[in-house]
Amino acid sequence: MLDTTTQPPSVGLSTVPRYAGWIGKAARSGLYRHTIGLLVESRRVRLAVLAGVPLFWIAMLHIGPILQMANISLLANYPPQPDKSSEYTLANYALFFSDRLYFLPFVRSLIFAAVVTISTLVIVYPVAYYVAKIVQPKNRMRALLLLLIPFWAGELIRTFSVIMLLANRGALNVLLREFGFIDRPIPMLYTFFSLSFGVIYLLALYMLLPLYSAIEKIPTPLIQAAADLGAGPFQRFRRVILPLSKDGIVSGCSLVYLTAVGVFAAPLLLGGPNSVIFPEVIATLFHGSNDKWPEGAAFSMIMLVVSLTTVGLFMRVVGGRSVRLM
Amino acid sequence: MNNFDVTRRSAMKLLAAGAGVLAAPSIIRPAFAQSKVVNITTYDKFVPQSFIDQFQKDTGIEVRIRLTDDQGKQYNLLTAEGAAPSTDIVTVTGHRLSQFMKSNLLSTLDTARLKNWGKLAAAYKGAPQLTVDGKTFGVPLLAGFEGLVRNTEYAKASDSWAIMFDDENKNLTSYIVSDFLSIVMRYQGNDGDYVTYGDKPDVAQAATNQARDFLIQHKDKVRKYYDAGSELQQMFVNEDIYLAQAWSGPAAKLIMDGHPIEISVPKEGTFGFLYSFNIVNNAPNADAAYTFLDAILSSPEIGAAMTRQSGFSSAFDGVDKVLDEKERAALSLPPEQVDRIQFFSSVNRDMKNEMIDKATAEIKSA
Repeated sequence: MLDTTTQPPSVGLSTVPRYAGWIGKAARSGLYRHTIGLLVESRRVRLAVLAGVPLFWIAMLHIGPILQMANISLLANYPPQPDKSSEYTLANYALFFSDRLYFLPFVRSLIFAAVVTISTLVIVYPVAYYVAKIVQPKNRMRALLLLLIPFWAGELIRTFSVIMLLANRGALNVLLREFGFIDRPIPMLYTFFSLSFGVIYLLALYMLLPLYSAIEKIPTPLIQAAADLGAGPFQRFRRVILPLSKDGIVSGCSLVYLTAVGVFAAPLLLGGPNSVIFPEVIATLFHGSNDKWPEGAAFSMIMLVVSLTTVGLFMRVVGGRSVRLM
Repeated sequence: MNNFDVTRRSAMKLLAAGAGVLAAPSIIRPAFAQSKVVNITTYDKFVPQSFIDQFQKDTGIEVRIRLTDDQGKQYNLLTAEGAAPSTDIVTVTGHRLSQFMKSNLLSTLDTARLKNWGKLAAAYKGAPQLTVDGKTFGVPLLAGFEGLVRNTEYAKASDSWAIMFDDENKNLTSYIVSDFLSIVMRYQGNDGDYVTYGDKPDVAQAATNQARDFLIQHKDKVRKYYDAGSELQQMFVNEDIYLAQAWSGPAAKLIMDGHPIEISVPKEGTFGFLYSFNIVNNAPNADAAYTFLDAILSSPEIGAAMTRQSGFSSAFDGVDKVLDEKERAALSLPPEQVDRIQFFSSVNRDMKNEMIDKATAEIKSA
């Protein structure tokens, strides 16, 4: 909070002459005094104007597109075309509930995202614990940096690196063949395995950082005290470490789940014929032969609402009352 | 927060920065409409970089390429921009022309402004795919077809699409679902191009469902449904697949590069298509667009470079003489196979798109 009692006297128009040069001239001009001068004279107005810019930014670039998507989802036709009407309708939402065709990939997406989230947590938790508690404090940043290096590359580059690893002539199959373990390559790519592997690899960072941050804050003497009092490793983990890292788990899982449920490029490049998930269906509606933006927009809104609700419930149930969605 | 002091100077600076950011779109937007710029939406490797460099040097017109990999995406984006397009030239296939025209997205081509128009191969001058009511709507560029592609080291030769459903090739095939649906309809003795279904939607739906069910039944043969030619090339190079339905361009490119690949047209036949450059209605740089189109037609070397890069056959005259033997071999088909190619029609496209899109989604979801 700003403490107005400690502020210098008004910095309004009366102090204008202290500016020299062209700024001073401009500030003393009538045009300035009756336009910007009025706006910046009062501290309250200055704050309102300054807050207005970021608020406008958020409204236009964050909330605006979602509202526009909601608007399109209620239209009969979009983009507007000369021979088609564009009245409001709920038919696009009804289509989702009336056709199993769209419902199945949706359910598949939710299950896929949940499995990916749990797998990422299980894989990343020990890593985060190792860096936060086992690695010497002086080396922690270095270890964390090493883990973050792959994430300096773009998402697509990392996805293609998974292809190069798992393809029939990829590094893994070549290695297995060289060591004589296999005669024919194992088809690992374009399966649920490759898709999950790729998405977990892409999203591990979103789990790692909140977990590291939460685990690092757990006082080590507390863990040592539990050991002194006879708690075994599992009991220490279950009764001390896990509850105290709950905030990190909730944040990490929420981030990974929300990203996994809407992930698009990785399934397209790594998925197979039986792993088509909902974002791909939505993209087909936007990019298919026909213009079906309203259906695509309605399905996007359904996905947004359901995934936010799921995460909200998860945060409420696992995170407790102190945790909030935003 | 206690130290945050909002002075008039800081307020003014931040206000100016905010105003600058908010005004950016209106400053950037007119950059599309500079007379020394031409904005082209096209496929990857369609326009050779060497030609772009030379054109820019000769004319001073900057060429801005935006890549697309799908006619639908291009159509949707252009439709969304409406009467104020930010692109001057788009790359439309002949059979999708009617869809673009119905939405009033393309302008008539004034061939008199193209002094090199005569350099098109005879077969493509006034190509029916690009002519509506006697008016021309595009410069023919590249022609291709959908063929059966196989890895000659692992997959046996076949003169039928049936090999794509052979149990021997389980998990080893790939195709673009929407494209292959049309071919399977043809394979099953139906009209995969919907030309004859104009007043028979029930028959069309039944034929579509028959092909859809057949593809669902044989889903175990598929390794991956792909969208872009580069995906197909990558799968063949990595030996993830041995057989595929593919556009001739990406397949021919693999052959030119020395991979053990062969493309053929099975006895049940296939479909062909023609790509063209079309000037957009209300194009912000129409004059520069005409200059560009005239320059691209100017020499068979440019057509040959486009063929080498994309793998598709050129519509320009004299390109054959510029290509070497290996390149010509990659593009050529035996005459009986050429006869099996039927160019996609623009007739009854709405019905076709509607039914194929739905069936595609059903196959993917199954």
